[in-house]
Amino acid sequence: MRKVAIVGIGHSRFGRRAEVDIAELAFESIKAAMEDAGVEKRDVENVTLGSAGGWYEESLPAVVVNEYAGFHNLPTMRVEAACASGSAAVRSAYLSIASGESEVALAVGLEKMTEVDTLTSVELMGRAGSYLWEFENYGMTFPAYYALYAVAHMDRFGTTQEDLARIAIKAHHYASLNPLAQFQKEITLEKAMNSQMVSWPLKLYDACPITDGSAAVVLASEETAKKLSDTPVWIKGMGVSSDSANLSKRDDYVGLGATVDAARKAYAISRTSPQDFDVATCHDCFTIAELMAYEDLGFCAKGEGKNMIREGQTEIGGKIPVNVDGGLKAKGHPVGATGVSMMVEVSKQLRGEAGPRQVPLKKGNGLVHNVGGTGHYCYVTVLSRSA
Amino acid sequence: MKLDSGPPTLQSRRTLSLRFNLPISKTHQFWDGLREGKFVTTRCTDCGEVSFPPQADCPRCMGSNVEWVDMGTDAELVTFTYVLVTPTSFVQNDPYVVAIGRLGQGLKILAWVEGSQVERLKVGDKLRLEARSSSDGAPYYVFVTAP
Ligand SMILES: [Zn+2]
Repeated sequence: MRKVAIVGIGHSRFGRRAEVDIAELAFESIKAAMEDAGVEKRDVENVTLGSAGGWYEESLPAVVVNEYAGFHNLPTMRVEAACASGSAAVRSAYLSIASGESEVALAVGLEKMTEVDTLTSVELMGRAGSYLWEFENYGMTFPAYYALYAVAHMDRFGTTQEDLARIAIKAHHYASLNPLAQFQKEITLEKAMNSQMVSWPLKLYDACPITDGSAAVVLASEETAKKLSDTPVWIKGMGVSSDSANLSKRDDYVGLGATVDAARKAYAISRTSPQDFDVATCHDCFTIAELMAYEDLGFCAKGEGKNMIREGQTEIGGKIPVNVDGGLKAKGHPVGATGVSMMVEVSKQLRGEAGPRQVPLKKGNGLVHNVGGTGHYCYVTVLSRSA
Repeated sequence: MKLDSGPPTLQSRRTLSLRFNLPISKTHQFWDGLREGKFVTTRCTDCGEVSFPPQADCPRCMGSNVEWVDMGTDAELVTFTYVLVTPTSFVQNDPYVVAIGRLGQGLKILAWVEGSQVERLKVGDKLRLEARSSSDGAPYYVFVTAP
């Protein structure tokens, strides 16, 4: 396997983007990533699009996006790993370079979720499990799946609704420093605790919003990366895992088995451990998901996630700053774009270009944790300043 | 052309309504059993693996010889949630309570919860599975709380 680096990053503004269609939205990130990398269209040998799809009118988004951007006759496809589709796209581009097939490849994450009404969007996500046994008769929703985890975690470890609210407050704080984030305002504990109950005990402010957005990264081989960039960000390893479609098949509901397994693989491949990171993005589609990720990634022991947030250990200056771009919770969660957005954020941090939300760089490593569905898929990617 | 505030958009005039015919020929025994108030699932006769949801092929040994066995109806509440914001196809319903319960043999099952204690659920509560029939005759099942 050849070494692979991120040499270009692009990121659209996240939010309600009714003024652009999917191709225009993807183009914003593609153009920015290619300019950042200093590559031309003729240099790009592979385009992979991560998009779960279903919310927008196009059935074949990869070719629609490629046609708009003027990519012809390239190997391309749309990949789906639910909310981890973006990481899946990066993995596909990564493998095309690591295998020696390509020198330069583009991974694009995209979702346009606000072209349908909100409850239809809720329905599309609720069907993301085992349809006949969870949705047909029981109308499960994405918040409901995570609420099942929240109730079990609170019962077992004494995690409180206030602990979860503090994760939302942190997310909104950092989003207010990120001009590309959907939400630009801080929130108070009172506001979070008094927000509308969605699926008890999860409230509106425990949940990520419905978001339009795109992000893109240009990947290159070691030889090409060194020519293109003074600040390549190396992909040191991707750990990938999955879990049952049907939640009732899982052993327990206080953590995501797919995260534990993907993290174990990622640490082994990259020869790192949970203490080796300056920054992490954790998949916080719901506040409980971020809290469980602290534990499942090994930033603390199982059951101690609540202490991490109470002590501020996941803020800038703490043990491991998490989601200092606002996270899915407040930056927004355009499903297929999220994994690529995380790669963009951690690359920015490792390049020292994150402005007011820059973390101190001591170890030179960052971690991207991207979950698909309710722990159905998990991708853990280790990024580093050093090859 | 939609003329409300915000950027101009064209609202599509073509709508898409999806209704799927769900194949159950290999596991119809489960749904037939429900109509008689019984809960049965598959057990692999090659390796003994009991599966729920029922499946015609064994996920453990990949054998395709299964028999139908009684699942029991006594369950313990593993986790639950009160669903207040419901999807489009459930907007006619009142908010509902969903739980995962563990049956005697260790199988787990997800269903709505009904009964007098539904407002006061806690992990570990005793529940009982009961078969139900929807207004249009479709079989389903719920947990019922102990009185
Ligand atoms: Zn078997």
